[in-house]
Amino acid sequence: MLARSSELATYSSDGLPGYRLRPRLAVFPTTKQQLIDVVRLLAREHCPFVARGAGTGLSAGALASGDAVVIGLNRLNRILRIDPANRLAVVEPGAVNVTLTRAAGAHGLHYAPDPSSQTACTIGGNVAENSGGPHCLKYGVTLNHVAALEVILASGEIVALGNADGEADGYDLLGAFIGSEGCFGIALEVTVKLTPNPQGVRTLLADFMSIDAGARATSAIIAAGILPAALEMMDGPTIRAVEASIYAAGYPADADAVLLIELDGLDAGLDADVRLVEKHCLAAGARTVRIAANEDERARLWQGRKKAFGAMGRIAPDLVVQDAVIPRTKLPEVLRAIAAIAARWQIQVCNVFHAGDGNLHPNIGYDSRNADESRRVGMAMRDIMRACIDAGGTITGEHGIGLDKLEYMPQIFSPESLAAQCALRDAFDPERRANPGKVVPVHSCREWRGA
Amino acid sequence: MSTAAVQERVRKHVVPAGFECATAAAPLRIVGSGTWLDAGRPVHDAETLSVAGDDADDAIVEYVASDLTLTARAGATLASIARVTGAEGQWLALDPFGSAGGTLGATIATGSTGPLAHAFGTPRDNVLGLEAVTGTGEIVRAGGRVVKNVAGFDLTRLFTGAWGTLAVITEATVRLRARPERDETIALALPSGDALDAWLAKLRALPFSPLALELLNAALATALGLGDRPILLARLGGNDDSVREQLRVFSVLGEMHPAPHATWRSLAEIEPAGAAVARVSAPPSRLHALWARLANGGDSSLVHAAVERGIVRCIHSASVDDSAVSIAQWLERIAHTDGTHIFERLPAREWSRVPARVNDPLSRAVRGAFDPHRILNRGILGDVA
Amino acid sequence: MNNELTMPACAIPGTPLAAESAGINACVHCGFCLQACPTYIALGDENDSPRGRIYLMRALMEGELAVDDPAVHTHIDRCLGCRACETACPSGVPYGALLEATRATLSEVKRPPLRARFILALFARRRVMRIAVGAARLLRSTGLPKVLSRLPGDLGFAFAMLASSESPLARARAHAHGGSSAGYDARGDGSRGTFALLRGCVMEGLFTRANRATERTLVANDYRALAAPDQHCCGALHAHAGDLDMARTLARRNIAAFEKSGAEYVVTNAAGCGALLKEYGHLLANDAEWSARAADLSARARDVSELLAAAGPRVGAPLDYRVTYDAPCHLQHAQRITAAPLRVLDAIPGLERVALADADQCCGSAGIYNLLEPALSAAVLAPKIAHIELTGAALVATGNPGCLMQIGAGLQRAGHSARTIHPVELLDASYEAQARAEP
Repeated sequence: MLARSSELATYSSDGLPGYRLRPRLAVFPTTKQQLIDVVRLLAREHCPFVARGAGTGLSAGALASGDAVVIGLNRLNRILRIDPANRLAVVEPGAVNVTLTRAAGAHGLHYAPDPSSQTACTIGGNVAENSGGPHCLKYGVTLNHVAALEVILASGEIVALGNADGEADGYDLLGAFIGSEGCFGIALEVTVKLTPNPQGVRTLLADFMSIDAGARATSAIIAAGILPAALEMMDGPTIRAVEASIYAAGYPADADAVLLIELDGLDAGLDADVRLVEKHCLAAGARTVRIAANEDERARLWQGRKKAFGAMGRIAPDLVVQDAVIPRTKLPEVLRAIAAIAARWQIQVCNVFHAGDGNLHPNIGYDSRNADESRRVGMAMRDIMRACIDAGGTITGEHGIGLDKLEYMPQIFSPESLAAQCALRDAFDPERRANPGKVVPVHSCREWRGA
Repeated sequence: MSTAAVQERVRKHVVPAGFECATAAAPLRIVGSGTWLDAGRPVHDAETLSVAGDDADDAIVEYVASDLTLTARAGATLASIARVTGAEGQWLALDPFGSAGGTLGATIATGSTGPLAHAFGTPRDNVLGLEAVTGTGEIVRAGGRVVKNVAGFDLTRLFTGAWGTLAVITEATVRLRARPERDETIALALPSGDALDAWLAKLRALPFSPLALELLNAALATALGLGDRPILLARLGGNDDSVREQLRVFSVLGEMHPAPHATWRSLAEIEPAGAAVARVSAPPSRLHALWARLANGGDSSLVHAAVERGIVRCIHSASVDDSAVSIAQWLERIAHTDGTHIFERLPAREWSRVPARVNDPLSRAVRGAFDPHRILNRGILGDVA
Repeated sequence: MNNELTMPACAIPGTPLAAESAGINACVHCGFCLQACPTYIALGDENDSPRGRIYLMRALMEGELAVDDPAVHTHIDRCLGCRACETACPSGVPYGALLEATRATLSEVKRPPLRARFILALFARRRVMRIAVGAARLLRSTGLPKVLSRLPGDLGFAFAMLASSESPLARARAHAHGGSSAGYDARGDGSRGTFALLRGCVMEGLFTRANRATERTLVANDYRALAAPDQHCCGALHAHAGDLDMARTLARRNIAAFEKSGAEYVVTNAAGCGALLKEYGHLLANDAEWSARAADLSARARDVSELLAAAGPRVGAPLDYRVTYDAPCHLQHAQRITAAPLRVLDAIPGLERVALADADQCCGSAGIYNLLEPALSAAVLAPKIAHIELTGAALVATGNPGCLMQIGAGLQRAGHSARTIHPVELLDASYEAQARAEP
């Protein structure tokens, strides 16, 4: 347990720059029973709490303020069981994503959701955020890979959600819990589905002299009905940041966009799909389309993508990252709009994102010591979000609402819809003590039942 | 029916504030096209609220083929969606058992699945957003029209498979898939007895994912005109190279025959009206044990199983064969098979033997939050006040 | 909402830490470093992670925490300085430099513990150090440390470290060649350039054989040896502990000594020393008189494995050992040298090289860390020993004296028969076997 103010400072932020909130206390249970005891003690004291995994989240969702206590789950990091025959694994909430994939590797399996932070982030955190990752284009997000949960509610009651031993029945409370950003309770044990490693993988890098061309290639590939395992896009500034980092991936530094496309599955059909993807890229104006010759080259191409967010740290002292999803046909249009917004506010936007899903991640580097620049960045962020919403999109594809996106919620949900979300939270946590103040703006949580 | 009209109907049934007696309001039975009405427990003393009735073409609200997404009114039939998307080489990869005249709303509300769930999952994996009217008469939108979305608490998943007991689904956005270049159906003879376990393990370890893998017992194979022995029905999709390789792999696994594509439609509609249907599921590694118990009951029950998902579906019908075992014996056998039991259809009097699905405190709290007066499909999940 | 887009001014101007503010700002707190950090893995508190420590540094800079805050000292002291976080960091945060600057800043208000000051003072005095190491060597030759290594606690561990510093090949070779272990006459054409060896305080005293092996293998690979008699301790331990002034003093002496030698390459076989040699440029960046000379020396500094790999190295005679390689942090993370030591081992025919799980993780030695934070050091060492056991290797090759002794002591105390050895010493043995076979 940490109570010293100086040591709580570390827990006043997560992976998202720009927010700091100091918790009242931080506790780090090392056993399931300790976690249960802590939650029940807090229930008796009617004390709010915030569960935290590795603190790699990007929506300020793991921050606690005021009276709230941080419950660090990072020490509950064991892989309890792997059942290769049924492709299931049971893990504690603090188990690190990539650790599970490594452990499953012995059986030719892996855990499919692979957020860029997978070397550090926890499965519990993935459940809370319904995390995605590049490969969720084909394989789906966390929701599609969790079979069952054992959960402790804020009241201290332990409930089983989902069913790992057969079909789930009754209300899909498992589906409701996944992505609830720690507001519905804390997972004690997570039963995840494991995915067989594909027989063959082809990784392609296509480079373009304009973002527009890259976006058109993306739309064409999706419209052609090809389902790549991943389809990622990086724009010129991102390419150059990555190439300047120790993770230089060999992206052509003079390109204005690259697409990183991965196809996987049965070896037999892959090359035909590769040719088709290549055709669409070239038709959209790709300069070259390169296929990774071996596993090392493939790893290098991916390394650059996965570390791109951090590599932005080289461009400017501060960084904000946006996360929005738009219909894939709107990619060229919205990327043009983002460029116009960047020009209007005289800021630099780096786009690195899951193009295949239409999941945009505009990153804006700036210097927080420059008050005027900071203001312009704030305005640009709002404009970008507006453009995405206007294109029929949503305000977060994988980072979650947390604190960061609260202000946008009323822009995409009616008061009734927000109130309904509050009602669902109240069913799980009537005292609203689990991760208070997150996801749904407090004023939306009017008394709903009396309506 | 328009959302506003649904809202108006629901509001008429909402007990005025301060009026505590929940029974004051007559419940509503939510109905799509009415083809699957015999599923679930009976809803008594209810007025019918039909969400269907839209002209088929109007029922498709938005279809952006290049985005592979479609938004439709709840009353849109699966057949009409298949027609519209098929013209673009796409499909909604949900093939629930029952008539193709079933609606999108009913498919989502009941979380119904078919053989394609093997490759494409269940409605919860394919629904991107919903519009619904809750039991308090509020119009709620959940999710959105994009393929990836974590904004807010997930009411989409909550309403999907809730059998209309939380909200009346009025509109849905679903994820579509491109139709595979080739789509082949084959039948393989099942190995007998103890060899089945190892054979099923081989199927689960295939280096590719077929579109569907269903075991059919002898009675079902016979009913479908596919011989008189138990078979595996496999549906293979992909590009030409891939399907050729998949066929090669299957040809090594046993005696293989092509089967007509229409078999899947016939399978979906095989159960006669009034049949009792139950599913027993277990981890896939235990499927052979379930199969051994349920598929070879020595009666005329039609039985099939989803290999990857470990689900055995049993169809009992006296009308199939007069020598059929009684429904009581059939129920007995299912109840004594270790696994998760889900009953789709039963004679009304038999439901009392089946435990309710949503009587745990959390489920009741959720029901209370969205339909406090228990207006919607009261009793369909065995819920009690 | 507490959305802070602007940052306050520096609260500790003029301190070593204040000079590193750009490095702190490079951190976007993505958290990718957490799982790379041995102390975070062992303790499970982000204050003991790179990101957490950078928060503490930032809090010092912003005046949120005072330089005498005990929590700051605790967590900064606990850092191994292994710099594995630098390898994991996509933003290129110069964590090692930040740590040294922070320790220097903190030592202005609170002196390091007596034990540390004593050791550092010892290393800074060449003659006293020689006597101390000579005494240790003498003690080692009695065989007593091996017996005493069974003592519980820190003392037993210290004796185990000393005992394990003895070359595992020495006895075998002495036995095989009738008590003689004089080595062989290395020959090469000198065409690859000249080098001077940074002998290293501990290496020369306790790993004499590895130093001679370094010289012989380099000569055998066509480098020419030059002497640099005026050299001193490299100052790495001082820099890591935050005594940057002493580190600079020692650096200046070494720069002068190696300039005088006229050698093209300054070679070391100790990863920790090599890392600092390569950072002399940064260390003396603000010293008008020395900065260019320091940068020049850094540019000429090489780990022995780099020079050997550049030369091939030449293949020797077969050795029949099962060997695993553990990457010293200051080679892998600080100097980013990963392939070269493996090339050295792969030049030995017959050697069975098996991969070590988590070879990139710290062993807990970290300079004098194991003497200052013994409990945490042991916690970091435990998984290392377990992984080594799984390899079934008889020898653990690693190119740094601290790691050689730390892992060696850990193996000895755990009752494992595996021993540690410098990779160059194995190559040397291979060359020696060849020399004997073809006189």
